[in-house]
Amino acid sequence: MADEKETTAAPAAPAPPKKGWEPTGEIAESDASKALLEKFAGFAAPVKNLAKEPTVMVKKEKLVEALEYLKSDPQHLFDYLSDMTAVHYPDNDKKIMTVYHLYSTSRKDSIRVKCELDEGEACPTCVGVWPAANWMEREAFDLMGVAFEGHPDLRRILMPDEWEGHPLRKEYPLGGPQEEEIRSNKYGKPQLLPDDLEEARKIIEEGRNER
Amino acid sequence: MNAEKPSYMREVLETREMELNMGPQHPATHGVYRAILTLDGERIMKLNSVVGYLHRGIEKWAEYRTYQQGVPIYDRLDYLGAVLNNHGIVGAVEKLLQLEVPRKAEYQRVICDELQRLASHLMWFATHALDIGAMSVLFYGVREREPIMDLFEAHFGQRLLPNAYPIGGCRLDFPKGWTEACRKFLKALKPRIDDYETLLTGNRMWRQRTIGVGVISKEDAIAYGLSGPTLRGSGVCFDVRRSIPYSAYPEFDFEIPLGTNGDVFDRYLCRMKEMRQSIRIIEQALDGMPEGDLKGKAPKIMRAPMGEVYFTVEAAKGQLGYYIVSDGTDKPYRLHIKSPSFINLQGLNRMSEGALIADMVAIIGSIDIVLGEVDR
Repeated sequence: MADEKETTAAPAAPAPPKKGWEPTGEIAESDASKALLEKFAGFAAPVKNLAKEPTVMVKKEKLVEALEYLKSDPQHLFDYLSDMTAVHYPDNDKKIMTVYHLYSTSRKDSIRVKCELDEGEACPTCVGVWPAANWMEREAFDLMGVAFEGHPDLRRILMPDEWEGHPLRKEYPLGGPQEEEIRSNKYGKPQLLPDDLEEARKIIEEGRNER
Repeated sequence: MNAEKPSYMREVLETREMELNMGPQHPATHGVYRAILTLDGERIMKLNSVVGYLHRGIEKWAEYRTYQQGVPIYDRLDYLGAVLNNHGIVGAVEKLLQLEVPRKAEYQRVICDELQRLASHLMWFATHALDIGAMSVLFYGVREREPIMDLFEAHFGQRLLPNAYPIGGCRLDFPKGWTEACRKFLKALKPRIDDYETLLTGNRMWRQRTIGVGVISKEDAIAYGLSGPTLRGSGVCFDVRRSIPYSAYPEFDFEIPLGTNGDVFDRYLCRMKEMRQSIRIIEQALDGMPEGDLKGKAPKIMRAPMGEVYFTVEAAKGQLGYYIVSDGTDKPYRLHIKSPSFINLQGLNRMSEGALIADMVAIIGSIDIVLGEVDR
């Protein structure tokens, strides 16, 4: 019985995507996305989406210009930066993607703008467009390791300043850099301290120095 | 902003800027939040926020759990508004998988959401007033919150972090007598909110501490991405329940209270009025509770196609968004949480420019942060 179960379960397990991440669904269009594609022809491309959310991929060179256009053009007025984040795709050609969710408080419309980056490439900052992006970009830098060109105060925000590595990257283990160390139990099994107080103190002191 | 000193003082007295560290163990920061204040006398010149003390890596953790396994952890973001966080993630997964939720379940969700909003606002009301020095309000606020916790306990089996909804619907019908208890509580709460307002709204000391303090203009509030009552206090009409409708909210009649000046007092008034609107919504939902199923057709193994969705709800603190990237497996490839407290806290810099140190406490209270959500 047990063997049968295993054999039936094995083919059902999804094959991990090998050739990078590619969105599926259909291309959703809104007035804003059409206008953006028209104005930045050659620099912007529509992206498929599952839930019919209009999405546009903009090239890095024109990103800030496009965001500024969406914000200030009287037709669009996307004055509210709802969310900004970054995603790591180690299997894609362009490994980092920054994602902007914009909303217009006057027209009650939303659009998603994305930008692809190479590994180690800096993304132009949009703090000049929305001050709200300040902490969002700091967070993306902290957790994803994306540098933002022209950011006024690019420091870590959630992790300690002296932290090494960027936790949300795919190669970063869930247990952190010490994961292996903890698993291998470097300090050995827990010991009972000896009854003699002096000796016990000595052992504790040694342990402290080691750490 | 910066009061000019008379010239003789400048010559005789040597003055210099001072750095003052506030927090992370400070009762008025509502958690482990640290502010480094650069002071000129008692005026704040610059505020440097230090957050992250409560960072638990929930976004990383989510990538290693299936969609269903992950649901309870999001309660721990804003632990005073757990049901609303739950609605956010459940709604996002439903949007990703294109699941339909039965109408009865949507109504039940609206009722529990609004009860949670009431509980969160009551807790804010209690602690905010305590920060400013109105001690007795704390007892009233916590007293009123207690019946809501009891209602949650009766329905969900948990008081604070109830893991309220499964993906695709709701678990159980309200227990016997629950609806009556809920109605009774709402009926009692309505006049009491009026009572509590008489404690503060017309109180001269309260007005002096709050009017004209922590002002943020309409334009700034939008540019800084504030949301929730903090944004609406500045007169911007943006409420996700109305602007980006979700669940059964379009079916209810309610108003969105707005402020005018964007100061601490307006944000206070907004929340007080919002509580009354929440009561209205719950009563309508209880009256119009439809018949039917509670559980929708949700698959046992949730495997979403490759793609991405962004789903937002109006949490007690503001717009709470979940951005899910799926890679075709049953776990999210990347899950990003747009937490309202994190973004609202950023606006604190702008609000506290030129304010007195004592007013800082009032301003932090008025943006209603929960550090579990700021640090995630």
